[in-house]
Amino acid sequence: MTGNLPYHRVNVLTGTKAARIIEDPAEYALLIKKATRPLLVVGPRALTMSLDSKPILDYAIEIARTLNIPVCATAHTRKKLVESGIEPASSYDLMEIINHLKDPQWCGVKKEGNHDLVIFIGVRTDLAEQGLSTLKHFARHLRTMTLCKYYYPNASYSLPNLKDGKWKEFLDGLITNLKENAQ
Amino acid sequence: MSENHHYKKKKKDDIIRADDKWEPIGHTPMPDIPDLRNWDMRLLKTYKPFYAPMCDLCCFCTYGKCDLTGDKRGACGIDISAQQARVVLMACCMGMSAHGAHARHVIDHVIEKYGAEYKISLGDQISVEAPNIRLVMGLKPETLGDLEKVITYVEGQLIHLVSALHTGQEGSNLDFESKALHVSMLDHVAMEAADIAEIVGFDYPKSTADTPLVELGWGAVDRSKPVILLVGHNPLTGVRIADYLKEHNLQDKVELAGICCTAHEVTRHDDHAKVIGPLSRQLFFVRCGIADVIVTDEQCIRTDIPIEAAKAGSAFIATCDKACYGLDDLTDKNTGDIIKAMTESGKQALIFDPDKAAEVAVKVALELGPKRDKTLVKPGEVPGLCKDHKLCNMCSQACPNLLEVGDSIEAAKNGNLQPLVEVFNKCIGCGKCEQECPRHVPIFKMMQAAASWETGKLRVGRGPIMDTEIRKVGAPIVLGTIPGVIAIVGCSNFPEGADEVAEIAEEFAKRKYIVVLSGCAAMSVGMKKDKDGKTLYEKYSPNFEAGGVINVGSCVANAHISGAAIKIANIFATLPLRGNYEVIADYILNRVGACGLAWGAYSQKAAAIATGFNRLGIPVVLGPHSAKYRRLYLSRKEEDDWTVMDGRERKLVDTGEPSPEHLITVVESKERAMITLAKLCIRKNDTPQGRQLKLTHYIGLYKQHMGSLPDDLHLFVRKTSDIPIFFKKEVMAYLEKVGWKEKQVLTLPTLIGTYESDVSIDSVIH
Repeated sequence: MTGNLPYHRVNVLTGTKAARIIEDPAEYALLIKKATRPLLVVGPRALTMSLDSKPILDYAIEIARTLNIPVCATAHTRKKLVESGIEPASSYDLMEIINHLKDPQWCGVKKEGNHDLVIFIGVRTDLAEQGLSTLKHFARHLRTMTLCKYYYPNASYSLPNLKDGKWKEFLDGLITNLKENAQ
Repeated sequence: MSENHHYKKKKKDDIIRADDKWEPIGHTPMPDIPDLRNWDMRLLKTYKPFYAPMCDLCCFCTYGKCDLTGDKRGACGIDISAQQARVVLMACCMGMSAHGAHARHVIDHVIEKYGAEYKISLGDQISVEAPNIRLVMGLKPETLGDLEKVITYVEGQLIHLVSALHTGQEGSNLDFESKALHVSMLDHVAMEAADIAEIVGFDYPKSTADTPLVELGWGAVDRSKPVILLVGHNPLTGVRIADYLKEHNLQDKVELAGICCTAHEVTRHDDHAKVIGPLSRQLFFVRCGIADVIVTDEQCIRTDIPIEAAKAGSAFIATCDKACYGLDDLTDKNTGDIIKAMTESGKQALIFDPDKAAEVAVKVALELGPKRDKTLVKPGEVPGLCKDHKLCNMCSQACPNLLEVGDSIEAAKNGNLQPLVEVFNKCIGCGKCEQECPRHVPIFKMMQAAASWETGKLRVGRGPIMDTEIRKVGAPIVLGTIPGVIAIVGCSNFPEGADEVAEIAEEFAKRKYIVVLSGCAAMSVGMKKDKDGKTLYEKYSPNFEAGGVINVGSCVANAHISGAAIKIANIFATLPLRGNYEVIADYILNRVGACGLAWGAYSQKAAAIATGFNRLGIPVVLGPHSAKYRRLYLSRKEEDDWTVMDGRERKLVDTGEPSPEHLITVVESKERAMITLAKLCIRKNDTPQGRQLKLTHYIGLYKQHMGSLPDDLHLFVRKTSDIPIFFKKEVMAYLEKVGWKEKQVLTLPTLIGTYESDVSIDSVIH
């Protein structure tokens, strides 16, 4: 299939403004590093998806820890995050955090100002596409990025559709690059 | 005052019999679009529309397509917010039209049968027979002819609302929303008229809670008998088939079963009929070929159903002008000739006359039934059926419920059916997987071996909540000592299968909320059994009381849920209903802890139902699919203004309390849904005892699923007397940590007086 169609066809873009597809973890890491106030939104699929037995939640935790990125735990992900040693900065549900993010004057989850890069992982693709559409249309003050293995046309930056092996390679590479950048 | 105004007022006065003084007439009898606009704008000030545009473009007129991204406006001047709001209005108009046309069809039919003067009676326990109609129109309907007045009013409003969708009309997203709220309020009026006409015309249960239990599930049908399948939402033909079977002593010889709301309706008429299940099982059951005759009426029917019926070898009869499928109209043909053509040459029929359609359906079923092979696929045959399968995953990509269909077929090919069982349990029944398969693997046929053929039980839809029940629960609901009413409504487009809905329903029933169900959600709940083989309908009380699990009936019976909230204001608080919409909606918003859950909404009707609840002050929680009409009404709890009027002191009070926090929101998991439902039952009017109870459930669910106290708990504790005793120590520690301060407890919170309205604060004092 073409990389320009989302894996789940229900999310196909009907429009003009589509995500920039990035496959290189170094480029992703650079975008995250360049952000002044990034935010990581972790959805409940991070609790159920895994790569070689490593839960996606663990990848999310590692990513958050590398640069001390604040986490918004949506749905019921908070409990597992806390058990894993991460206290989320916010427990807004997905559309609640998006509703705040679209206001440029919002103070952000750490009361330090709104975020300029919002990174999503573990949200079911159809709901993520809805939220990303909101931000694409109504939050031009920030950029959005997705870390799941699917192409999200409504994001600013998205991975292409990836098989699990490539996805694992990407996430491992991203963490390595973030750590390098952090040093 | 204009001449036109006087003319309209006189006309309205005539329609509602203004001289009949059963209640004083409020400010908005038979409201037109502008009449409740200020109420809408007040709601939308707190609960701002939130859009997730489904498309970057507008494709509605010949100036386009127009790109609406960024700051761009279309050639007509519309922006993306207004365009998305326009789409929402369109959906709500479609939804209300479907219910309204259903109502018109049934009302005309029963008037033809019984006459316009035929009296409406819903039994000896129901005096407030039509709370939505009384409230919105100011009319107390007494006869079937009055119901015709109701639907005529609704139709008249609709033409203006649809007109607003035209290019070069409305330009504000807020005004599109106000119109969506208006048409959706009318949806509840139309639904109520439809269901009352059916109760009266088709002898449904009246003034009773303990309705019969009927068999539920595709396994409930005896395949050895001729089978007639009803699909849709309009019972006109279905009840005639049931009557025909009874009149000809055929009830034990022919199986009559339904899918979707017609099944609810026909079982309300005759509990010999069976319920196959919700919408999501339509294609599966049709393709099983168990039905000898398929009879359709209207709404939520697969539009290719004649093709599917032909493939399955089932005879097919369409009966509704909304869904004719290109078939020849055989209404005026000789019955014998129709039967001959159907049984001998497979002709499919369009028959508008319910009596004739019923006779044909039964006779064709009796003729075809014994001749047809209804053998189902056995597990051992499955690998052979998918021998050509290659794991290309095109099926998985096509699945709108994001299921790993391809992997399940791969496993089935290797003799492991379990993944396919799991896919079937979560399947929403669209059939896209099979359509997409380049190797033509018959996935739905394979599901015959994966599906459980266990049966469930559905309590027959009871219709309205009785006035006597409202008298008992009105005070506990308003004071908060019954923690809330959870209305689980809508279709079966569930993200993780039907079991989740049953789990949510049981969680709240155990916690002594009142759980009310309707439509496909009500059916889905009846399929789940406990270890003793009992469904929720067998385990919990059918009464509208704490811990009750109540099925009101089909889609149009949703009006009885909004009606129950209205009746609380009327019967318990003695507020007049007549044309008094703002006062009653304000009362419900601030005092009645009711919340809807549309976990698997699919149809535009569901959009209208939910939006109608919203105008009445009842919040709704959506599942991930249900949000695809792409508009929510959300607040921002910490930043927004939660000022209300203290009706007793007549002064504005900044409560800082976001109750209810949202009017319509979406959540991703059932865990979050339960937490959100419990929170959205909190109301400013709760007594300390009631608030304690509501917070007990909110805190309990939050701790269970999130692992800590809620991080917004301080917003809902007004005084220490609100704190649940069970959690007192840790809550006090938390409140101290966040610097919580005591707040005023209001005994008469109201939005009246916080916005421009003809309604005075005196109107809300009771």
